[in-house]
Amino acid sequence: MADLIRDLSRRQFLKGAAAAGAAVGIGGIAAACSSPAAPASAAAPASAAPAGSAAAVSAAPSAGPTGTFNWMTWVDHYYPEQLSIIQSSLGIGVNLTELADNADGFTKLKEGSSQLDMISGDALWVPHYFETGLIEAFDINSLDVAKQLYSIAREFKIWTSPAGYLGYPIGWSPVQIYYDPAKVSPTPDSWEVLLDPKYVKRVVVENQPVEVMAYMGKFAGVKDPYNMSPDEVAKAKDLATKLKPNLLKFAQQNTDTVAALISGEAWIATGNLGTESRVKQAGGPDLKVFTPKEGTIGWMDSEMTVKGGKNTQLIRPFLEAAEQAEYIAANFLINQRPLFNEKAYKLLINQGQQDLADRYLYNKPETVLTMTLKGPGTSTQGAINAFNEVFGA
Amino acid sequence: MTTETASGAGSAPLAVGSSPVRRPIGRLAPLVPGLLVIVLLFLVPMGFMLVFSFMRTDVNFNLVPDWNIDNYARFFTVATYVRTFLKTLLMAAAVTTAGLATAMPFAYFLVRYVSPRLQRAILLAVIVPFWTSYLLRVYAWQAILGEHGALNQVLQAIGLIKEPSALFIYNDLGVGITLWYLYFPFAALALYAALDKFDFSQFNAAQDLGARPDQAFRLILLPQIRAGIITACIFVFIPILGEFLTPALVGGASGSLIANLVVNFFRGAQYAEGSALAFVIAFIVTVVLIVFRRYLRVEDVVARG
Repeated sequence: MADLIRDLSRRQFLKGAAAAGAAVGIGGIAAACSSPAAPASAAAPASAAPAGSAAAVSAAPSAGPTGTFNWMTWVDHYYPEQLSIIQSSLGIGVNLTELADNADGFTKLKEGSSQLDMISGDALWVPHYFETGLIEAFDINSLDVAKQLYSIAREFKIWTSPAGYLGYPIGWSPVQIYYDPAKVSPTPDSWEVLLDPKYVKRVVVENQPVEVMAYMGKFAGVKDPYNMSPDEVAKAKDLATKLKPNLLKFAQQNTDTVAALISGEAWIATGNLGTESRVKQAGGPDLKVFTPKEGTIGWMDSEMTVKGGKNTQLIRPFLEAAEQAEYIAANFLINQRPLFNEKAYKLLINQGQQDLADRYLYNKPETVLTMTLKGPGTSTQGAINAFNEVFGA
Repeated sequence: MTTETASGAGSAPLAVGSSPVRRPIGRLAPLVPGLLVIVLLFLVPMGFMLVFSFMRTDVNFNLVPDWNIDNYARFFTVATYVRTFLKTLLMAAAVTTAGLATAMPFAYFLVRYVSPRLQRAILLAVIVPFWTSYLLRVYAWQAILGEHGALNQVLQAIGLIKEPSALFIYNDLGVGITLWYLYFPFAALALYAALDKFDFSQFNAAQDLGARPDQAFRLILLPQIRAGIITACIFVFIPILGEFLTPALVGGASGSLIANLVVNFFRGAQYAEGSALAFVIAFIVTVVLIVFRRYLRVEDVVARG
């Protein structure tokens, strides 16, 4: 070995080291420039799809386009078994990138749209994507699977443009307030309960500054909490100051909220539909839920086709398969919030799940029209500043 | 050793036929990969951020070249940011002090009284937490410090408290304890490396010559492990200034550090504001490093730390 090293001249060693270093560097750069996430089949955990789920949907091998496309989405828009079946039956694979929130997805797409083919987005964010030139409109009625949707979902004004429909409707939920009736009384009906001095360190809200300020805006009577005037932001900030001592923590994700409610550390929490069910299933207390009388925030999301995406020819066949009622019914049972697929609701009835579906308003898609919908606003910066001022030291 | 010095850079023989111009270029070749990484993955992004920090984010989340220093001014004019930064400095100082105070006797005991084989096993135990994800370790501390967590259960079992206490988590104490745990290995390893090279016969000689143990520690040991102490300080203090995950998970609504406020801007796609705030922190960290550098040569860290 020593001889070998001695025989290797300094120049040879330096050349070799430089070549190896360059290879490592170039390899790293190439990896960074390639697809943003591991294939779903490799990265996703085993499916928890309930019985009677979408395994039955698997189709014969397709003669249509095959390949892999890039999709930035939330984890509740699919489940691994569904993607595996579609890949094996249609030859369409998915590179998944997790979507943190709307602003994050929007800015990432704006900076590098060619790396994505489909992206999920919420409510008023969808027209914003379109107006910014990031997505393509399409004729929703040309998709066979769209016939399974509630008709209202094919006609949302905010998603309709002269060029066509802006997104394929997936699901929705209002933000509601959950509480433990054994600890919280009298029965609350307002955002005010979050600020009640009786509940110091007993409240959990999501770690989303703009949303938290929107909740406070709703409580302050602000009509449009994403487009607050400076005075309205100040009002919301005052309320957030009163909220601070009551907050146990900011939940990073719904599982944090559920864990705090199960352990009894939190008595009150904001969350999407279905939180009380998840708490109960995990052995937590029986929770009550209400929609604040001042009104609430809500989301309704969709899949959007990225303009200029390199694999967008795969999206239509993918949606035709992935949005079939069997998959959507299974998705509902996994994630327990209403979806827009009416045929899936009927399947759930046939599976004896109507009570569950109705409890989560699956049969009332028109409720979305009563919510203040999430969207980009003019007061984002003001809301974050106010949030930081309250929750900083 | 002598041979290595003699054939060092200055006296390396030239390959036959290589020109004096090519020689320094060839010597620079090994630098290229590292240099590329630093330039492409650090300096260029930092350059972008610096430019962003003087821009403005409009309501469509566009960065508008409306050059201004308002984003920097915000840090100094809104008291929350200054207070939160001072709190972050205090937290970093407290955790560094606690880390050194616990790592020093640990490393001292290890080097002085434990057999080399057992030392390796114990050091392995110190490193083992690095095999699990950072996130998991912080979540584990949620389970330990929580109102119904292990700590409360132990305290109740031994009769120290009657009701579960919310004292340990979702506040600054919870953040401090968790950071202390997370950064202890860095301090311990740096100090161990320094102490391992210390010749303890000097320590004994000092005492033989009349020095009290504390004098021998202060006048003989500490100066010789200075590099290790400073390295430990750098490894603990500096990263804590940028910590946001631990405060987010165990800090609750009152445990935010400055990086949490920066992250809020980035999550809301307010890149100009976030960049400026990040640069203020980076500037202050640089100043801290310069201060440290007055007491430390890089060679000390490499050779002894």
